[in-house]
Amino acid sequence: MNAIELRNLTKTYPQFTVDNVSLDVKKGYITGLIGPNGVGKSTLIKMMLGMIRPDSGSIKILGRDMPKDEVDIKQDIGIVSDDCFYYEHLTIRDSKKMIAPFYKKWNEKKFNRYLEQFELSPNKKIQDLSKGMKVKFSLAVALSQEAQLLIMDEPTSGLDPVFRREILDLLADIMQDESNSILFSTHITTDLDQIADYIAFINRGKLVFNEVKDEVLERFAIVKGDSQLLDSDIRKKFVGIRETAVGFEGMVDNRQEAELLFGNYVVFDKPSLEEIMYFTAKGGRIHA
Amino acid sequence: MLNLLRKDFIALKSSLWLGILFLAVFSAFFIPKLSTSIHLVGIYTAFALLNHGTMIDIKNNNHNFLLTLPIKRKHIVQAKYITAIIYTLFGVLASYGIHWLVKKLAILDLNMPDYSVLDILVPAGIVLVLTSIYLPLFYTLSKKGTSIINVVFFLCLIALANPTALFMNMINEKGFSSDQTLFLILTGIILLFIASYYLTINLFTRKDL
Repeated sequence: MNAIELRNLTKTYPQFTVDNVSLDVKKGYITGLIGPNGVGKSTLIKMMLGMIRPDSGSIKILGRDMPKDEVDIKQDIGIVSDDCFYYEHLTIRDSKKMIAPFYKKWNEKKFNRYLEQFELSPNKKIQDLSKGMKVKFSLAVALSQEAQLLIMDEPTSGLDPVFRREILDLLADIMQDESNSILFSTHITTDLDQIADYIAFINRGKLVFNEVKDEVLERFAIVKGDSQLLDSDIRKKFVGIRETAVGFEGMVDNRQEAELLFGNYVVFDKPSLEEIMYFTAKGGRIHA
Repeated sequence: MLNLLRKDFIALKSSLWLGILFLAVFSAFFIPKLSTSIHLVGIYTAFALLNHGTMIDIKNNNHNFLLTLPIKRKHIVQAKYITAIIYTLFGVLASYGIHWLVKKLAILDLNMPDYSVLDILVPAGIVLVLTSIYLPLFYTLSKKGTSIINVVFFLCLIALANPTALFMNMINEKGFSSDQTLFLILTGIILLFIASYYLTINLFTRKDL
């Protein structure tokens, strides 16, 4: 079953378009939404949350239609964003008093437990919280409303490695309950190397792929070899290629085919998500 | 709906004293100078409160926050219109109370006129007209646009203080030509307020945040 189903979603701006994106986010798994800055990740998420109305296409979340069932859907989704949505002049206690009554399944005990775990004082004002603490507060709110689906928009950007690791560990804990799902949008792909099950890659407003992470990492390969091996037909086999004075380094999206093509004349490396994103985003030929 | 009103109250909790401050400042400014001060104190206090509430919302990207909550955009707008009515009632009734008190206790020798129900209805009507223009703009414009509109409205209120006072004097002296005219004007204001509410819902529902 899918936690999120996007079908042919399109939104056109004067200088940018989210172009006919269809995407499934599997229930019970963490899906990483990756892509360079400004390619449409946040626009997609805002469309899912009803903040932006798509020009065309449909959105289904937890089996219900957006925006028709918006209120019911939002009872079951938690949102964590690097944008702080809360009133800056209020304390954590007042913010909780403001938010809790909107949720039917609000769990006060859980909220207090998370405050303790995250070392957040209820008397502290939102404006006095560091960026990491704000993210933790958002997470405490999202988890206390017993959300089945967490939508996280760049939650770890700008956080130090200790905070990031803590949050990732917590997300791994949340996923012990198989009814939970997480959509984790980020351009820091190392976070997803650790926790994601699926990877959806968005580039220039289009969905490039949405696959099981391990399969993506097996399918793609970094090929390193001598520039003499390259001709115009061979170059077309690469998703992205970087040529230097001593040779080339390219990304292929079909490792098996590349192994048959190049045999032992080149070196194959397993790519990281960051490398896949880099080569795909850059495309064509890159000179160094 | 109650949760949204509660939200506004919590957001304004630390600045609720401003309502009293607005009332005190406008009373001190208008009561000794103008015989129509009862109207102006009510109008200025109510609108300053609405303005202050929306400024806090703008500063905190309130629309983005609200749209993460399980509520409909329609209800967000509805709550703001109800809040505006509450501010109007507070401003107008508090102004009436202060003027009644000043007159009754004869604190100042100001030769104040006798006040009637019209002295509540007229300023309430004016605030509702202002709100009917202001809220569609607040929900349609960007953060920067709304900040500009807030300043423009405030400047307009200052500039219109004297013409409003003259108009009030005229009404006080001549009165409305008939009860029917008064009824028609009040009905018109209520219809304008309702039309503004539906327009705002329509505009805000289509707005991308």
